Amino acid sequence: MRKYENLVIVKPTLTAEEIQASVKAIEEVITSNGGEIATTDTMGMRKLAYPIEKNERGYFHVIYYSVAPAAITEIERRFRLNEELLRFVTIKYDTNREIKAWDGLVEKANKKAAMSAKAAETPAATEVPAATETPVVEEAAAPVVEEVPVAEATPAAE
Amino acid sequence: MSEKRKYKKRFCKYCEAKVDFMDYKEVGALRFSLSERYKIMPRRLTGNCKKHQDMISIVIKRARAAALVPYTVTRKAVVTQPFENLR
Ligand SMILES: [Zn+2]
Repeated sequence: MRKYENLVIVKPTLTAEEIQASVKAIEEVITSNGGEIATTDTMGMRKLAYPIEKNERGYFHVIYYSVAPAAITEIERRFRLNEELLRFVTIKYDTNREIKAWDGLVEKANKKAAMSAKAAETPAATEVPAATETPVVEEAAAPVVEEVPVAEATPAAE
Repeated sequence: MSEKRKYKKRFCKYCEAKVDFMDYKEVGALRFSLSERYKIMPRRLTGNCKKHQDMISIVIKRARAAALVPYTVTRKAVVTQPFENLR
């Protein structure tokens, strides 16, 4: 078993449910080939740095898993056949240093998932500190927020 | 054969920060090693050490493949949105 990471970009033209189903199918490909998914990290809909198949945006999803190295060719073949996938990037974590980094990334992704789950449960509780600590939150929120002018407009209005 | 150095001695930012692994998904960290046209900056200009330059070039190429960083930009894009998508 070797540790891997897969970033997949799903077509933005699909509906939200179709995207979720597509992501499920992608994870299914990994598990059916003997992979054990450690965690997943949803980066969400993002603007692509360059258009792929005339799409300007894409749904980014990262999967951390471990699988026997021989199964990777089959997994990548299945990904290549999948027409809902714009792009996938497979990264191998082989050396001791890389494996340590992989553990760190998995932990980070788990923490992020727990945070977003908590935010979903109590939306009101998380929004109150966000309003008081504007400068800190803005820094953290900047990569997620698509349009910067909107984020800058809020402190000026207060 | 002058005794003084012609250029100021530069230090590797990544050695100072003790970086031993870079994640290609953290695009903001790559900005220091990219030119405004998203070329990989040479080591002689950034002062990065060989070890970290090798890491950066691999990570940037991964990020390009993942459509997080462009391969090239047109002249128009350079003027209108420098590092727009890397924030
Ligand atoms: Zn260095």
